[in-house]
Amino acid sequence: MRRKARYLIVAALLPVMASAGAQPSANSAAITLNLTPRICTLSAEDENCDTVVTAKWRAPKDESLCLLIVGQPQVRQCWENHSEGVYTVRLLFNQDLLVELRDLELQEVLTSETIAVIKEALRLRRKRRQPWDILS
Amino acid sequence: MLCPQLASAAEEPCDAPSPDCAVVGQWEISASFGLGQRSNPVAGESDIPLVVVPQISYYGKRFFLVNLELGYTLFEGEKNTFNVIATPGYDRVFFHRGDLQNIFVPTSGGGAFSGRPDPMPGNGDDLDSENVRNFEVGRRRTTFLVGPEWTFGYGRITGQLNAVREVTGRHNGMEVRGALASPLLVGRFGSLVASGGITWKSAEVVRYYYGVDNLYVPDSSLSPFVKLRYSREISDRWGFNLFAHYEKLSSSISDSPIVSEDHVTTVFAGVVFRVH
Repeated sequence: MRRKARYLIVAALLPVMASAGAQPSANSAAITLNLTPRICTLSAEDENCDTVVTAKWRAPKDESLCLLIVGQPQVRQCWENHSEGVYTVRLLFNQDLLVELRDLELQEVLTSETIAVIKEALRLRRKRRQPWDILS
Repeated sequence: MLCPQLASAAEEPCDAPSPDCAVVGQWEISASFGLGQRSNPVAGESDIPLVVVPQISYYGKRFFLVNLELGYTLFEGEKNTFNVIATPGYDRVFFHRGDLQNIFVPTSGGGAFSGRPDPMPGNGDDLDSENVRNFEVGRRRTTFLVGPEWTFGYGRITGQLNAVREVTGRHNGMEVRGALASPLLVGRFGSLVASGGITWKSAEVVRYYYGVDNLYVPDSSLSPFVKLRYSREISDRWGFNLFAHYEKLSSSISDSPIVSEDHVTTVFAGVVFRVH
Protein backbone atom coordinates (compact mmCIF):
# COMPACT_ATOMS: atom_id res chain seq x y z
CA MET A 1 0.00 0.00 0.00
CA ARG A 2 2.77 2.34 0.99
CA ARG A 3 4.78 1.47 -2.14
CA LYS A 4 1.73 2.06 -4.35
CA ALA A 5 1.28 5.52 -2.87
CA ARG A 6 4.84 6.42 -3.72
CA TYR A 7 4.23 5.42 -7.34
CA LEU A 8 1.15 7.57 -7.40
CA ILE A 9 3.05 10.58 -6.16
CA VAL A 10 5.73 10.10 -8.78
CA ALA A 11 3.11 9.70 -11.48
CA ALA A 12 1.42 12.88 -10.38
CA LEU A 13 4.67 14.79 -10.50
CA LEU A 14 5.68 13.61 -13.99
CA PRO A 15 3.72 16.19 -15.99
CA VAL A 16 5.06 18.94 -13.76
CA MET A 17 8.64 17.70 -14.18
CA ALA A 18 8.21 17.42 -17.94
CA SER A 19 6.92 20.95 -18.29
CA ALA A 20 9.65 22.27 -16.03
CA GLY A 21 12.22 20.74 -18.36
CA ALA A 22 10.81 22.28 -21.52
CA GLN A 23 9.70 25.43 -19.72
CA PRO A 24 7.06 26.71 -22.16
CA SER A 25 4.29 28.42 -20.28
CA ALA A 26 0.85 26.88 -20.15
CA ASN A 27 -0.94 29.89 -21.61
CA SER A 28 1.25 29.86 -24.72
CA ALA A 29 0.49 26.33 -25.77
CA ALA A 30 -1.21 27.53 -28.90
CA ILE A 31 1.83 29.41 -30.19
CA THR A 32 3.51 27.34 -32.87
CA LEU A 33 7.12 27.71 -33.89
CA ASN A 34 8.50 26.08 -37.03
CA LEU A 35 12.16 26.00 -37.89
CA THR A 36 13.94 25.22 -41.12
CA PRO A 37 16.07 23.30 -41.41
CA ARG A 38 15.00 20.81 -38.75
CA ILE A 39 18.25 18.88 -38.87
CA CYS A 40 21.78 19.77 -39.83
CA THR A 41 24.01 16.86 -40.80
CA LEU A 42 27.74 17.38 -40.46
CA SER A 43 29.87 15.31 -42.76
CA ALA A 44 33.14 13.87 -41.53
CA GLU A 45 34.99 16.86 -42.90
CA ASP A 46 32.65 19.57 -41.56
CA GLU A 47 33.22 21.19 -38.21
CA ASN A 48 30.20 23.50 -38.17
CA CYS A 49 26.78 23.87 -39.66
CA ASP A 50 26.87 27.02 -41.71
CA THR A 51 23.29 27.55 -42.75
CA VAL A 52 20.44 30.00 -43.01
CA VAL A 53 17.89 29.36 -40.27
CA THR A 54 14.31 30.47 -40.70
CA ALA A 55 11.93 30.64 -37.73
CA LYS A 56 8.20 31.13 -38.31
CA TRP A 57 5.80 31.52 -35.44
CA ARG A 58 2.05 31.87 -35.32
CA ALA A 59 -0.40 32.54 -32.47
CA PRO A 60 -4.21 32.53 -32.30
CA LYS A 61 -4.17 36.09 -30.90
CA ASP A 62 -1.77 39.02 -30.84
CA GLU A 63 1.27 38.42 -28.71
CA SER A 64 4.33 40.40 -27.68
CA LEU A 65 7.35 38.21 -27.63
CA CYS A 66 11.01 37.84 -28.50
CA LEU A 67 12.90 35.18 -30.38
CA LEU A 68 16.18 34.08 -28.84
CA ILE A 69 18.65 31.37 -29.70
CA VAL A 70 20.58 29.72 -26.90
CA GLY A 71 24.31 30.19 -27.39
CA GLN A 72 23.80 32.90 -30.01
CA PRO A 73 23.52 36.10 -27.94
CA GLN A 74 23.62 38.27 -31.03
CA VAL A 75 20.21 36.98 -32.08
CA ARG A 76 17.22 38.76 -30.56
CA GLN A 77 14.14 39.64 -32.55
CA CYS A 78 11.05 41.01 -30.81
CA TRP A 79 7.47 41.61 -31.94
CA GLU A 80 4.79 43.61 -30.17
CA ASN A 81 1.16 42.77 -30.70
CA HIS A 82 1.65 40.39 -33.61
CA SER A 83 -0.01 37.10 -34.29
CA GLU A 84 2.76 35.80 -36.49
CA GLY A 85 6.33 36.52 -37.45
CA VAL A 86 9.26 35.31 -39.51
CA TYR A 87 12.93 35.67 -38.73
CA THR A 88 15.82 34.57 -40.90
CA VAL A 89 19.45 34.54 -39.92
CA ARG A 90 22.62 32.84 -41.09
CA LEU A 91 24.26 30.91 -38.28
CA LEU A 92 27.34 28.88 -37.57
CA PHE A 93 26.84 26.17 -34.98
CA ASN A 94 28.07 22.70 -34.10
CA GLN A 95 25.62 21.69 -31.38
CA ASP A 96 21.87 21.39 -31.21
CA LEU A 97 20.37 24.82 -31.68
CA LEU A 98 17.60 25.74 -29.23
CA VAL A 99 15.31 28.50 -30.51
CA GLU A 100 12.99 30.06 -27.96
CA LEU A 101 10.08 32.46 -28.00
CA ARG A 102 9.97 34.38 -24.71
CA ASP A 103 7.91 37.17 -23.32
CA LEU A 104 9.27 40.68 -23.68
CA GLU A 105 10.91 40.50 -20.27
CA LEU A 106 12.64 37.31 -21.40
CA GLN A 107 11.53 35.63 -18.22
CA GLU A 108 9.05 33.12 -19.55
CA VAL A 109 9.61 30.66 -22.36
CA LEU A 110 6.46 30.61 -24.45
CA THR A 111 7.59 27.86 -26.74
CA SER A 112 10.79 26.43 -28.13
CA GLU A 113 12.06 24.18 -30.90
CA THR A 114 15.43 22.62 -31.68
CA ILE A 115 17.51 22.16 -34.79
CA ALA A 116 19.34 18.91 -34.21
CA VAL A 117 22.96 18.54 -35.28
CA ILE A 118 23.88 15.08 -36.42
CA LYS A 119 27.52 14.29 -36.87
CA GLU A 120 28.37 11.66 -39.38
CA ALA A 121 30.32 9.02 -37.51
CA LEU A 122 33.86 8.52 -38.77
CA ARG A 123 34.61 4.96 -39.62
CA LEU A 124 38.27 4.24 -39.24
CA ARG A 125 40.48 1.33 -40.09
CA ARG A 126 44.12 0.66 -39.58
CA LYS A 127 46.23 1.38 -42.61
CA ARG A 128 48.01 -1.46 -44.28
CA ARG A 129 51.50 -1.73 -42.92
CA GLN A 130 54.25 -2.42 -45.37
CA PRO A 131 57.59 -2.86 -43.70
CA TRP A 132 59.32 -2.65 -47.06
CA ASP A 133 57.61 0.44 -48.34
CA ILE A 134 59.93 3.39 -48.08
CA LEU A 135 57.34 5.76 -46.71
CA SER A 136 55.64 3.46 -44.23
CA MET B 1 67.76 2.06 -26.91
CA LEU B 2 64.05 1.51 -26.65
CA CYS B 3 61.65 4.16 -25.57
CA PRO B 4 59.27 3.32 -22.69
CA GLN B 5 56.19 4.31 -24.66
CA LEU B 6 57.18 2.10 -27.54
CA ALA B 7 54.82 -0.78 -26.89
CA SER B 8 51.81 1.40 -26.30
CA ALA B 9 52.56 3.40 -29.41
CA ALA B 10 52.74 0.29 -31.51
CA GLU B 11 49.35 -0.91 -30.29
CA GLU B 12 47.59 2.43 -30.22
CA PRO B 13 43.86 2.03 -30.78
CA CYS B 14 42.55 3.23 -34.10
CA ASP B 15 40.02 5.75 -32.83
CA ALA B 16 41.06 8.93 -34.65
CA PRO B 17 42.53 9.76 -38.05
CA SER B 18 46.32 9.50 -37.84
CA PRO B 19 49.28 8.34 -39.91
CA ASP B 20 48.30 4.79 -38.87
CA CYS B 21 44.52 5.11 -39.14
CA ALA B 22 42.58 5.96 -42.27
CA VAL B 23 39.07 7.31 -42.56
CA VAL B 24 37.03 4.77 -44.50
CA GLY B 25 35.79 6.18 -47.76
CA GLN B 26 38.21 9.09 -47.88
CA TRP B 27 41.11 9.60 -50.25
CA GLU B 28 44.46 10.53 -48.79
CA ILE B 29 46.85 12.35 -51.05
CA SER B 30 50.29 13.50 -50.03
CA ALA B 31 53.63 14.19 -51.60
CA SER B 32 57.16 14.13 -50.29
CA PHE B 33 59.48 16.79 -51.63
CA GLY B 34 63.17 16.36 -51.11
CA LEU B 35 66.32 14.83 -52.41
CA GLY B 36 67.23 11.23 -52.84
CA GLN B 37 68.03 8.51 -55.29
CA ARG B 38 67.74 4.86 -55.92
CA SER B 39 70.78 3.15 -57.34
CA ASN B 40 70.30 1.22 -60.53
CA PRO B 41 72.26 -2.01 -60.63
CA VAL B 42 71.63 -2.54 -64.30
CA ALA B 43 74.73 -2.04 -66.38
CA GLY B 44 74.68 1.20 -68.27
CA GLU B 45 71.62 2.56 -66.55
CA SER B 46 71.78 5.68 -64.46
CA ASP B 47 70.53 5.96 -60.91
CA ILE B 48 66.93 6.99 -60.37
CA PRO B 49 66.49 10.42 -58.79
CA LEU B 50 63.84 10.92 -56.13
CA VAL B 51 62.64 14.48 -55.85
CA VAL B 52 58.87 14.28 -55.58
CA VAL B 53 57.32 11.12 -54.20
CA PRO B 54 53.52 11.19 -54.33
CA GLN B 55 51.40 8.92 -52.16
CA ILE B 56 47.74 8.13 -52.81
CA SER B 57 45.60 5.84 -50.73
CA TYR B 58 41.97 4.95 -50.32
CA TYR B 59 40.48 2.62 -47.76
CA GLY B 60 36.98 1.29 -48.14
CA LYS B 61 35.33 -1.01 -45.66
CA ARG B 62 37.39 -3.88 -47.05
CA PHE B 63 38.86 -2.67 -50.31
CA PHE B 64 42.01 -0.57 -50.31
CA LEU B 65 44.26 1.13 -52.79
CA VAL B 66 47.75 2.18 -51.77
CA ASN B 67 49.60 3.80 -54.65
CA LEU B 68 49.74 1.08 -57.28
CA GLU B 69 48.64 -1.77 -55.04
CA LEU B 70 45.08 -2.96 -54.69
CA GLY B 71 43.79 -5.15 -51.95
CA TYR B 72 40.78 -6.70 -50.30
CA THR B 73 40.76 -7.42 -46.60
CA LEU B 74 39.41 -10.87 -45.80
CA PHE B 75 39.95 -10.62 -42.06
CA GLU B 76 41.08 -7.81 -39.82
CA GLY B 77 41.71 -8.54 -36.16
CA GLU B 78 43.64 -6.98 -33.31
CA LYS B 79 46.84 -8.83 -34.15
CA ASN B 80 46.31 -10.41 -37.55
CA THR B 81 45.09 -9.17 -40.90
CA PHE B 82 44.62 -11.23 -44.03
CA ASN B 83 44.38 -9.53 -47.39
CA VAL B 84 44.36 -10.50 -51.02
CA ILE B 85 46.57 -8.07 -52.90
CA ALA B 86 47.43 -7.19 -56.46
CA THR B 87 50.85 -5.63 -56.77
CA PRO B 88 52.99 -4.62 -59.73
CA GLY B 89 56.20 -6.43 -60.51
CA TYR B 90 58.93 -4.14 -59.24
CA ASP B 91 61.97 -5.06 -61.27
CA ARG B 92 60.70 -3.20 -64.28
CA VAL B 93 61.65 0.09 -62.62
CA PHE B 94 65.28 -0.53 -63.47
CA PHE B 95 64.55 -0.86 -67.17
CA HIS B 96 61.99 1.83 -67.77
CA ARG B 97 62.46 5.22 -66.23
CA GLY B 98 58.84 6.04 -67.03
CA ASP B 99 57.51 3.14 -65.00
CA LEU B 100 54.89 4.42 -62.57
CA GLN B 101 56.82 2.82 -59.75
CA ASN B 102 59.55 5.34 -60.34
CA ILE B 103 56.94 7.93 -59.40
CA PHE B 104 55.01 6.10 -56.68
CA VAL B 105 58.19 4.72 -55.21
CA PRO B 106 58.06 1.34 -53.49
CA THR B 107 61.09 -0.64 -52.48
CA SER B 108 59.83 -4.16 -52.43
CA GLY B 109 61.64 -5.02 -55.59
CA GLY B 110 65.00 -6.52 -55.64
CA GLY B 111 65.83 -6.79 -59.22
CA ALA B 112 68.46 -4.87 -61.00
CA PHE B 113 69.62 -4.74 -64.52
CA SER B 114 69.37 -2.76 -67.66
CA GLY B 115 66.20 -2.94 -69.59
CA ARG B 116 67.42 -1.12 -72.58
CA PRO B 117 65.86 -2.44 -75.74
CA ASP B 118 69.00 -1.89 -77.77
CA PRO B 119 71.65 -4.57 -78.15
CA MET B 120 74.32 -4.21 -75.50
CA PRO B 121 77.55 -5.98 -74.87
CA GLY B 122 77.63 -8.78 -72.41
CA ASN B 123 80.13 -8.80 -69.62
CA GLY B 124 80.01 -12.42 -68.57
CA ASP B 125 83.17 -14.10 -67.34
CA ASP B 126 83.07 -16.53 -70.21
CA LEU B 127 83.62 -13.75 -72.67
CA ASP B 128 86.88 -12.02 -73.31
CA SER B 129 87.23 -8.47 -74.49
CA GLU B 130 88.34 -9.54 -77.94
CA ASN B 131 85.33 -11.70 -78.46
CA VAL B 132 82.52 -9.50 -77.30
CA ARG B 133 79.09 -10.89 -77.99
CA ASN B 134 76.09 -8.71 -78.43
CA PHE B 135 72.75 -9.80 -77.05
CA GLU B 136 69.29 -8.46 -77.08
CA VAL B 137 67.73 -7.28 -73.87
CA GLY B 138 64.05 -7.59 -74.50
CA ARG B 139 61.40 -5.21 -73.32
CA ARG B 140 60.06 -5.86 -69.85
CA ARG B 141 56.33 -5.38 -69.71
CA THR B 142 54.28 -4.17 -66.80
CA THR B 143 53.18 -7.15 -64.76
CA PHE B 144 50.82 -7.66 -61.87
CA LEU B 145 51.06 -10.27 -59.20
CA VAL B 146 48.17 -11.44 -57.05
CA GLY B 147 48.10 -13.42 -53.86
CA PRO B 148 47.43 -13.59 -50.14
CA GLU B 149 49.09 -11.40 -47.57
CA TRP B 150 49.31 -11.87 -43.83
CA THR B 151 50.16 -8.99 -41.53
CA PHE B 152 50.65 -9.57 -37.83
CA GLY B 153 51.61 -7.64 -34.76
CA TYR B 154 53.62 -9.07 -31.93
CA GLY B 155 54.36 -6.55 -29.25
CA ARG B 156 55.99 -3.66 -30.99
CA ILE B 157 56.96 -5.73 -34.01
CA THR B 158 54.94 -5.73 -37.20
CA GLY B 159 55.42 -8.57 -39.62
CA GLN B 160 54.22 -9.19 -43.10
CA LEU B 161 54.33 -12.18 -45.39
CA ASN B 162 52.84 -12.43 -48.82
CA ALA B 163 53.02 -14.86 -51.70
CA VAL B 164 52.01 -13.53 -55.06
CA ARG B 165 51.85 -15.02 -58.53
CA GLU B 166 52.10 -13.17 -61.81
CA VAL B 167 48.71 -13.09 -63.50
CA THR B 168 49.32 -10.90 -66.53
CA GLY B 169 50.74 -13.70 -68.63
CA ARG B 170 54.32 -12.51 -68.97
CA HIS B 171 56.29 -15.03 -66.98
CA ASN B 172 53.89 -16.79 -64.56
CA GLY B 173 56.47 -16.48 -61.83
CA MET B 174 56.04 -16.18 -58.09
CA GLU B 175 57.36 -13.90 -55.41
CA VAL B 176 57.33 -14.36 -51.66
CA ARG B 177 58.03 -11.32 -49.55
CA GLY B 178 58.57 -11.36 -45.82
CA ALA B 179 59.50 -8.47 -43.57
CA LEU B 180 59.58 -7.34 -39.97
CA ALA B 181 59.47 -3.76 -38.70
CA SER B 182 59.95 -2.36 -35.24
CA PRO B 183 60.04 1.19 -33.92
CA LEU B 184 63.30 1.98 -32.21
CA LEU B 185 62.27 5.38 -30.94
CA VAL B 186 58.85 6.95 -30.61
CA GLY B 187 58.28 10.29 -29.02
CA ARG B 188 57.67 13.94 -29.58
CA PHE B 189 60.89 14.14 -31.52
CA GLY B 190 59.55 11.74 -34.11
CA SER B 191 59.82 8.04 -34.72
CA LEU B 192 62.63 5.86 -35.91
CA VAL B 193 61.61 2.53 -37.40
CA ALA B 194 63.88 -0.28 -38.50
CA SER B 195 62.76 -2.92 -40.97
CA GLY B 196 64.31 -5.97 -42.49
CA GLY B 197 63.18 -8.78 -44.69
CA ILE B 198 63.67 -10.94 -47.72
CA THR B 199 62.23 -11.22 -51.19
CA TRP B 200 62.22 -14.57 -52.92
CA LYS B 201 61.66 -14.65 -56.64
CA SER B 202 61.03 -17.76 -58.61
CA ALA B 203 63.30 -18.64 -61.53
CA GLU B 204 60.61 -17.46 -63.96
CA VAL B 205 60.68 -13.97 -62.51
CA VAL B 206 64.45 -13.74 -62.43
CA ARG B 207 64.78 -15.09 -65.95
CA TYR B 208 62.17 -12.68 -67.29
CA TYR B 209 64.07 -9.69 -65.98
CA TYR B 210 67.70 -10.79 -65.73
CA GLY B 211 68.07 -13.70 -68.03
CA VAL B 212 69.77 -13.44 -71.40
CA ASP B 213 68.78 -15.84 -74.15
CA ASN B 214 71.36 -18.55 -74.78
CA LEU B 215 73.76 -16.86 -72.40
CA TYR B 216 72.43 -16.59 -68.89
CA VAL B 217 69.62 -18.65 -67.42
CA PRO B 218 69.36 -17.72 -63.75
CA ASP B 219 67.74 -19.67 -60.99
CA SER B 220 65.47 -18.31 -58.27
CA SER B 221 66.72 -15.48 -56.07
CA LEU B 222 66.64 -14.64 -52.39
CA SER B 223 67.48 -11.02 -51.63
CA PRO B 224 67.55 -9.57 -48.10
CA PHE B 225 67.01 -5.93 -47.27
CA VAL B 226 67.23 -3.55 -44.34
CA LYS B 227 65.62 -0.15 -43.96
CA LEU B 228 65.80 2.67 -41.48
CA ARG B 229 63.20 5.40 -41.51
CA TYR B 230 62.88 8.52 -39.41
CA SER B 231 59.72 10.60 -39.55
CA ARG B 232 58.39 13.50 -37.61
CA GLU B 233 55.02 15.21 -37.73
CA ILE B 234 55.39 18.97 -37.92
CA SER B 235 51.69 19.77 -38.25
CA ASP B 236 48.50 18.16 -39.52
CA ARG B 237 49.66 18.77 -43.06
CA TRP B 238 53.42 18.79 -42.86
CA GLY B 239 55.93 16.19 -41.80
CA PHE B 240 59.53 15.24 -42.28
CA ASN B 241 60.83 11.98 -43.69
CA LEU B 242 64.27 10.46 -43.90
CA PHE B 243 65.00 6.93 -44.94
CA ALA B 244 67.71 4.64 -46.17
CA HIS B 245 67.08 1.27 -47.74
CA TYR B 246 69.65 -1.31 -48.73
CA GLU B 247 68.95 -4.49 -50.62
CA LYS B 248 71.59 -7.11 -51.28
CA LEU B 249 70.84 -8.77 -54.56
CA SER B 250 70.91 -12.51 -54.83
CA SER B 251 73.81 -13.89 -56.85
CA SER B 252 71.38 -15.22 -59.45
CA ILE B 253 70.59 -11.58 -60.18
CA SER B 254 73.96 -9.96 -59.63
CA ASP B 255 75.68 -12.61 -61.78
CA SER B 256 73.61 -11.62 -64.76
CA PRO B 257 75.67 -10.07 -67.56
CA ILE B 258 73.29 -7.11 -67.60
CA VAL B 259 73.78 -6.36 -63.91
CA SER B 260 76.80 -4.45 -62.72
CA GLU B 261 76.09 -4.05 -59.00
CA ASP B 262 75.08 -6.54 -56.36
CA HIS B 263 72.88 -4.20 -54.36
CA VAL B 264 70.24 -1.50 -54.57
CA THR B 265 70.46 1.49 -52.28
CA THR B 266 67.65 3.97 -51.86
CA VAL B 267 67.99 7.12 -49.77
CA PHE B 268 65.66 10.07 -49.42
CA ALA B 269 65.19 13.09 -47.17
CA GLY B 270 62.40 15.56 -47.52
CA VAL B 271 59.21 17.10 -46.25
CA VAL B 272 55.79 15.55 -46.63
CA PHE B 273 52.78 17.64 -47.54
CA ARG B 274 49.36 16.13 -47.09
CA VAL B 275 47.04 17.55 -49.69
CA HIS B 276 43.97 15.75 -48.36
